[in-house]
Amino acid sequence: MINMVIDGRQVQAQTGWTVLETARQNGIHIPTLCHHEAVEPSGACRLCVVEIGDETWSKIVISCMYPVAEGLNVKTDSPRVKNVRRWILEMLLAQCPASPEIRALAAEYGVQTTRFVNHDPNEQCILCGLCVRVCKEVVGVSAISTIGRGVHKKIGSPYGVVSDACVACGSCVTVCPTGAMSARLDAIRGVHAGREAGKGGK
Amino acid sequence: MSRVGVFLCECGRRIAPQVDLKQLGELLSQNPLVAHVQVEPFSCLSPGLGALKAAVEEHKLDRIVVAGCEARVILKKFEQALEPVGLDQGQIDVINLRGHVAAVNDLGPEQAAVKASKLIGASVAGLDALTPTAKEKVEMQGPVMILGGGIATYAAAQELLRRGIATIIAMYTDEYQDELRMIHEHYPGERHYYDRLEAMMQEVEESPLVKRISVGELVGLTGRTGNYSVSFKMGDEIPRIIQAGAIIACLDGQMLNQGNNFGHDGRNVICHTEAEEMIWTLGVPTGKVVFWLNDYESGQEDFAYLSARSAWSMARYMREHEPRCQVTIMYNQKLSIPLSAGERKLGRELGINWVAYDSELRPTVQAGFLNYLSPEDHTEYEMPWDKLILSPRRSVGLETNRVAKVLGIKHKEGEFLEVKHSKVRPEMVGRDETFLAGSARYPCDLHEALRQGRRAGTRTAEMVAKAEAGELYAPRMVCVVDPSRCVGCGLCNEICDCGGIEPPAKLGPSVIRHVDPMVCTGGGTCAAACPYHALTIQNNTTAQREARAAALARSLAPGEFMGWGCGWGGLAAADNAGIKGLKSDPRMHLLRVSCIGQLDPSVMARAFLEGAPGVLLLGCPPEDCHHSYGVDHTWSRVTLIRKLLSVCGLDRRRIAMAHVDLNNPQQYIQAVNSFAELMAKLGPIPDDPETKAKLQGMYDTVNNDRVRWVLGASLRRPWEEVYPGDQRHALAYDQDMVAVVREEYTKARLVSTLKAQPQPIGIGELAALLKEDEARLVPNLREMVSEGVISRVHKDGVAHYIMR
Repeated sequence: MINMVIDGRQVQAQTGWTVLETARQNGIHIPTLCHHEAVEPSGACRLCVVEIGDETWSKIVISCMYPVAEGLNVKTDSPRVKNVRRWILEMLLAQCPASPEIRALAAEYGVQTTRFVNHDPNEQCILCGLCVRVCKEVVGVSAISTIGRGVHKKIGSPYGVVSDACVACGSCVTVCPTGAMSARLDAIRGVHAGREAGKGGK
Repeated sequence: MSRVGVFLCECGRRIAPQVDLKQLGELLSQNPLVAHVQVEPFSCLSPGLGALKAAVEEHKLDRIVVAGCEARVILKKFEQALEPVGLDQGQIDVINLRGHVAAVNDLGPEQAAVKASKLIGASVAGLDALTPTAKEKVEMQGPVMILGGGIATYAAAQELLRRGIATIIAMYTDEYQDELRMIHEHYPGERHYYDRLEAMMQEVEESPLVKRISVGELVGLTGRTGNYSVSFKMGDEIPRIIQAGAIIACLDGQMLNQGNNFGHDGRNVICHTEAEEMIWTLGVPTGKVVFWLNDYESGQEDFAYLSARSAWSMARYMREHEPRCQVTIMYNQKLSIPLSAGERKLGRELGINWVAYDSELRPTVQAGFLNYLSPEDHTEYEMPWDKLILSPRRSVGLETNRVAKVLGIKHKEGEFLEVKHSKVRPEMVGRDETFLAGSARYPCDLHEALRQGRRAGTRTAEMVAKAEAGELYAPRMVCVVDPSRCVGCGLCNEICDCGGIEPPAKLGPSVIRHVDPMVCTGGGTCAAACPYHALTIQNNTTAQREARAAALARSLAPGEFMGWGCGWGGLAAADNAGIKGLKSDPRMHLLRVSCIGQLDPSVMARAFLEGAPGVLLLGCPPEDCHHSYGVDHTWSRVTLIRKLLSVCGLDRRRIAMAHVDLNNPQQYIQAVNSFAELMAKLGPIPDDPETKAKLQGMYDTVNNDRVRWVLGASLRRPWEEVYPGDQRHALAYDQDMVAVVREEYTKARLVSTLKAQPQPIGIGELAALLKEDEARLVPNLREMVSEGVISRVHKDGVAHYIMR
């Protein structure tokens, strides 16, 4: 048993748990986007940041991947944590202004507008890669991936054509935290997902 | 006696506030089938999984239900985490409490808890009816056999020998040199590849691991993965039978010349294979050689790029070896020339002329000239030729077709062999249906054929290695045949699209079928179609689904109804509606099924029998079934239930089929809401003994083998092009079906009535009991007497009947 403190509460954890898991087990809410219980965490969205340390020294870590340790002091809602989340949400708002989920979350933290440049006002995807991980880890086909680099990065099937590997299970749509995958699915699975897409031919 | 545990997830803010979990726990502990109930903040995270494991061991649970979120996404995690404590696939069920109850219905926490308890109760009953089977280990009882005689044989054999796996190659020729001499007949214009090919052939021939046998034509294949018997005809002798653990089929397609079309005469107007032959026997011709890539004009435009490659390769050889030869390649402007930049440059240096023609005008072959329309200036020109070389026609070929039939490779007539049957998750099927390589699969060049061979070799080698390590297991949810019930009718084989039903062990009638568990995808529409219930999906049986339907139907309150959602369509759409928080009618109670085709009509009838006022089936959109036409088959089954509802005097609309796309959750909401409206209009089914007896008659009728046989006849076969409703003689069939259903329903009612009578009973009394016309009963009674089902005795000269 590991003894630690989250938001002033004494909690117990076991080796191998993450800070996020321990917080959730004790009913403490930490917002997440790229985290899904069905896949391994990847720490892409950074929204689950928490502050660890004491009055003299502290640092910001992502709770979804930070392992628990004896005597750890975690603050999930400190001013510093809130400030970091506001920055993240402001950047996300610039990345995908069209996502109602992101807008609602930003509003929760008092972020209404963004000072960063937006490239596409219709973008919904935060590029967290959750869909890619589900496709690989849960479904086991790896039909989708991130394509391109930097600002050109996006989610799709190889060469942007209908994927032969896609089994059209829709797991990516189900786990997508912003609803962005729904618009992309048809280009990946093809029209008649069940049969036609997999039919012979080059 | 099973011990079922139920775990309720709070899921942060997403389930606990909307559903009163404490009350739900209390409701569930009243259920005699539930051994243990526990609430967890997050069952799926490390702390929760740890708690689940501890509870399974402490309370000796042998199956569990997790009431949390989407089974489609999270179930695998539970299966992996709980395998060490003895829970296997099929012993864990996940109910989407979050998506199907908390998020979509404005019920209030208490009402939501009641609804959840019904869904969980159904799942518990289903698990209770499970008889878990052991994992089936697959062993290789023989070497790998590569047959079919295609050139990819050598690539596959090379891959296998390099991995140290014993292989038999069954060839039609005695020496590989013979094949090398013939290869241009299947892959013209590939001479540049022959050195490498010969090296590969030599390596295979010299390897002690590879045994070459010269065989006659393939006549039979029986058995399953790990244990095949392959028989070859050997002249007039008895067929030679060889045992093999795995099969790779290497089949090359056929190349035909253009016959009498396009001026083909076999002398000056020839095709690629003939040109190749000419170069090697007579040498490169001098003068003007024109390749006309006429694939567009001969209706094979998909293969024009292959003809272009082979023409380029021959043209290059000609120019390099005979400077007096002028080469032009004429191509349809729609074709993009499949050459690399380097090849284009080389082509220019060699003076190979590529000339495009306008696709609007079909070029005309004339003596010494080819007339064509230039796309540049819209003027017709004449291209002079001394030799005109046409593209070949590509087809599977008669012999290859025959071999494919023996191997059980189902494909549409006139099409190539590559058919991808099912779009399912990799873990649902043990291996590819057939390891197939070569141009009969789909026209390709030599390089691609060999690549396919290597790939088939690699995958087979991986499978063999796994089997040798004792780690090759068949998927758990696959079809199995009960040999005591199977009559060998072959209906399952006919409608199975995944190829999982094994080739029968011998020819003739009444040969019991078997399933190759490594190929079966567990779709299960074959099992639902079996007239005798001989085919079942192990760990996921019709009995389990019936138990679920019955438990849910019994628990429904007035006004409530139930439905089934397919994991690829309806259920997925319901999950996504939950994610989006779209509200739907709370009276709907949705059950999960992995393919809607798994639903035996007996499951639907059972739901009505146990008190469901309506059943809504939510499948995939038409033509989108991931298994073997499960949606189409469900359509046929729903129409059967409709007929029976009519016969029972109930409204036919009480069962409905909806097609829902997972990416369009609104469709799910619409389907549910309009069915809810209809249900409100129709009201409940009367709960009296008479209606119960009718519904029992309906249940007995759908389990009647004759009705199931007639139903089986209408199920869409893999080679049929259209969704049901457009079949031949659809109306005549349907009328016959109605007659059969009426007859068997009446007989079923007679049997159950007579069973309840200790004394022989007269026809007048029978008619009164059944509220049927005497005239309708008479022929049925007569038939049942002659079939020996019932006995007729005479009392005072009047016929009386009793069960035999």
